[in-house]
Amino acid sequence: MSGEISRDQSQGLQPLGVRDEAPDITTSSSLLTLPAPGIHITGMNSALKRPPSVTAEAKTLLSAAGFVPSWRPSWGKVRTFGLTFPAGIELIPVAPQVPPTDEELSALKPVQPEKPKEETPEGGEGAKKRTKIKPPQDALSVQDRLFFLLQPPLENWLKGQELIMPFEPFQYQYEGIAWLFAQKAALLADEMGLGKTMQLITALRLLLRAGQVRRVLLVCPKPLIPNWQREFKTWAEEIPVTTVEGDGFRRNLTWRMPGAHVLLANYEVVVRDYQAMIQEAIKNGHNMKDGLGRRTEVECQTFIDGELSSSSPGLAQPEAPCPLPQFDLVVLDEAQRTKNRDSLTARTIRSIPRGRSVCLTGTPIENRPEEMSSLFEFMGVIPPGANPDLRQLTQLSREFILRRTKDLVMKDMPPRLDRDAIIELSTAQRIAYDAAEKEGVMKLNAMGDELSIQNVFELVLRLKQISNFDPHTQESSKLERLQADMEEIAASGGKAILFSQWTKTIDWLAERMQPYGCLVYHGGVPTAKREPILTKFKEDPDSHIILMSYGTGAVGLNLQFAGYVFLFDRWWNPAVEDQAINRAHRIGCKSQVIVSKFICKDTIEERIDRVLNEKREIFRSVLGEGDNTNASLSMSANEIFGLFSMKARTPKGSKSIRPAAPVKEAA
Amino acid sequence: MALAAPKAQLGFLGVVNLAGTGFVGGLLVTNQLGRPLEFQCTTPVKPNRTQEILYGPTLTSFVCAELIGKTLFERLQVKPQLIVSDHSEMLALRSVISLPVCLVLPKSSVAAEGTIRAGAHQLRWHADFPDDLALVTEIAKSFPGDADLIEPLERVREALQETLRAGAAA
Repeated sequence: MSGEISRDQSQGLQPLGVRDEAPDITTSSSLLTLPAPGIHITGMNSALKRPPSVTAEAKTLLSAAGFVPSWRPSWGKVRTFGLTFPAGIELIPVAPQVPPTDEELSALKPVQPEKPKEETPEGGEGAKKRTKIKPPQDALSVQDRLFFLLQPPLENWLKGQELIMPFEPFQYQYEGIAWLFAQKAALLADEMGLGKTMQLITALRLLLRAGQVRRVLLVCPKPLIPNWQREFKTWAEEIPVTTVEGDGFRRNLTWRMPGAHVLLANYEVVVRDYQAMIQEAIKNGHNMKDGLGRRTEVECQTFIDGELSSSSPGLAQPEAPCPLPQFDLVVLDEAQRTKNRDSLTARTIRSIPRGRSVCLTGTPIENRPEEMSSLFEFMGVIPPGANPDLRQLTQLSREFILRRTKDLVMKDMPPRLDRDAIIELSTAQRIAYDAAEKEGVMKLNAMGDELSIQNVFELVLRLKQISNFDPHTQESSKLERLQADMEEIAASGGKAILFSQWTKTIDWLAERMQPYGCLVYHGGVPTAKREPILTKFKEDPDSHIILMSYGTGAVGLNLQFAGYVFLFDRWWNPAVEDQAINRAHRIGCKSQVIVSKFICKDTIEERIDRVLNEKREIFRSVLGEGDNTNASLSMSANEIFGLFSMKARTPKGSKSIRPAAPVKEAA
Repeated sequence: MALAAPKAQLGFLGVVNLAGTGFVGGLLVTNQLGRPLEFQCTTPVKPNRTQEILYGPTLTSFVCAELIGKTLFERLQVKPQLIVSDHSEMLALRSVISLPVCLVLPKSSVAAEGTIRAGAHQLRWHADFPDDLALVTEIAKSFPGDADLIEPLERVREALQETLRAGAAA
């Protein structure tokens, strides 16, 4: 079959989407000539002979495609999260005026600009270690954690022109600074001589600049005030430090002086002034809480002498602004001074309103691990009055105590060589000693049940004094040994530090040590004269020995230029002895430090030394197995009685009888 | 980073693309000494399949620069004078904000046309904005020779990881 399709019909083949106006349609008819099919015509198919009738009609096209995909480039709103950082205190940098001393220069690496070409062979960046500030464990919110994570690495921060560092810190010091920066409660317990002071001061600089603290109180023993002033001048000259001193009126002004970023005060001043302010506040009807805002019954009872009417914890009182001077941070240097949590010092210190609490001590445990409870209470990590057991203390130590020993971090530090100088008593000393011991023991035995630990203690002291020198003949084997050693030391231009328990012994020795340019530094020396003495010892080439008491000279002094230490007599606690020795054996010492411990043979000194050494081996502090310098080694009453083969008469045989504190010197 | 006076505020813009999570961006504004002043970051932005097909090779640039970078910049309360990124796609941000945007090149990169030395790095600015050269040059003058412009971007990435961890934990 063939046919023609009109042009109009072909419009239906237009491409999709082409929709034009309605066309004019015309129709026409034409005859079709169809060939007759070769089919036999029957009645059934006669219709095939009829020509087909073809007609055309108009049909409208589709007005739109059935599906047209469309898309507009729209995106959902991008959600954001952010934080702004607090503005820090702008302090004007002070250019160093005094060039560092040779000792300091030789001891510490000066800050060097980072070498620009420190790439690895692969073309990567230099692998110089960076100390990042890590968020503390108690920082739970994202904002808090980001605050720490987004701080620059300490090496970059301290290298900047904002913070002039006289010397580059050691790596462990960077880590200590970062830790102090992040912790709200911290006990930095590095072994003596590792630079706790510098770490604390540098952390303060960063905290002030980061706007984390604006007002800081630093409490230290009185003899260390000049030391802290000097250290601030060395490490952070741009930070103004105000010492709380003078009469009551002046001190009161100082406590409340606005704009003082760092206040420096000794323990006695803090206790005296805060007690006065607390009493005044209670009279005015204030509810007293501890310095962290926790109400404690003990505090209230103490402050008002038993009258609980105005400050009883159970009474609802309208809240009023705290009348005591407040601080963002309180630092306790030699924090072991507050180890007795019921002492007036500890209670008063805890009452200081503060946001952060930091303790510094090289000997967090002098006698018993429980002593740390007082420090933890100050730090606010245990509730008031809580008594954590040893396991809990160990757990708290891991989180809130940072302690490094020289063995761990100063592998390249010159060694400390300890030698026990076993000395025979002179004839006169031996006679005097034996007589005193025989007479003393007889008296003790005769006392029967009246015998007290004090009686035994007095005998021990008397025998130790005779071991130093015979008071009648002035003979002293120790002196002879000391003179022999000093001849060598002076001849080689060396310097030595001698420690004794007694100022009387020190004065006696001073007369005999004059040929060696002897200087004396103990509690009897006025505070104003102490710094010049230390300066002379350091700078005068003819001054070869300085005589110090454990109480005054054992803490906080930097005498790393001395290569020799003599322990003329022994303190009751090796932790205190270690503090004394570390005046010389600390960062910056150029050569080995030789420590001579004078022990008279067959005397009470030998027996005491044996007991203490045995205890050192047995006792392990909660601070870790590797810490061999922090053992609790004060002698118990039983051990003191045992020195004379006697037994303690008191049922409390474990009571410690050592002197209350090394700062209280024997006459 | 340790930069010298005069005081400048720099923005460090970083972005990470985590499989299955999408793009997350962070913008850290520091002072001239590298101390942080403000930080803004986005929640994850994940293109769908249609967007991936239709944006094709321009998708990353669009998401990083126009979606994330521009949003972060607009959220800032502390406005920087220069934005630095180590993500080449971020250069496109310059087209939508009125601030120089530079690509920081690794320390090993050598000087080339279209780059300028800033601290220990070469900075490349957007070729379509030749006037930026003067601005970038002025700011770069204040950089000490050893200024590390990559380190703040590492902080940004670390912070982004932290926020993602926190988001996953929440």
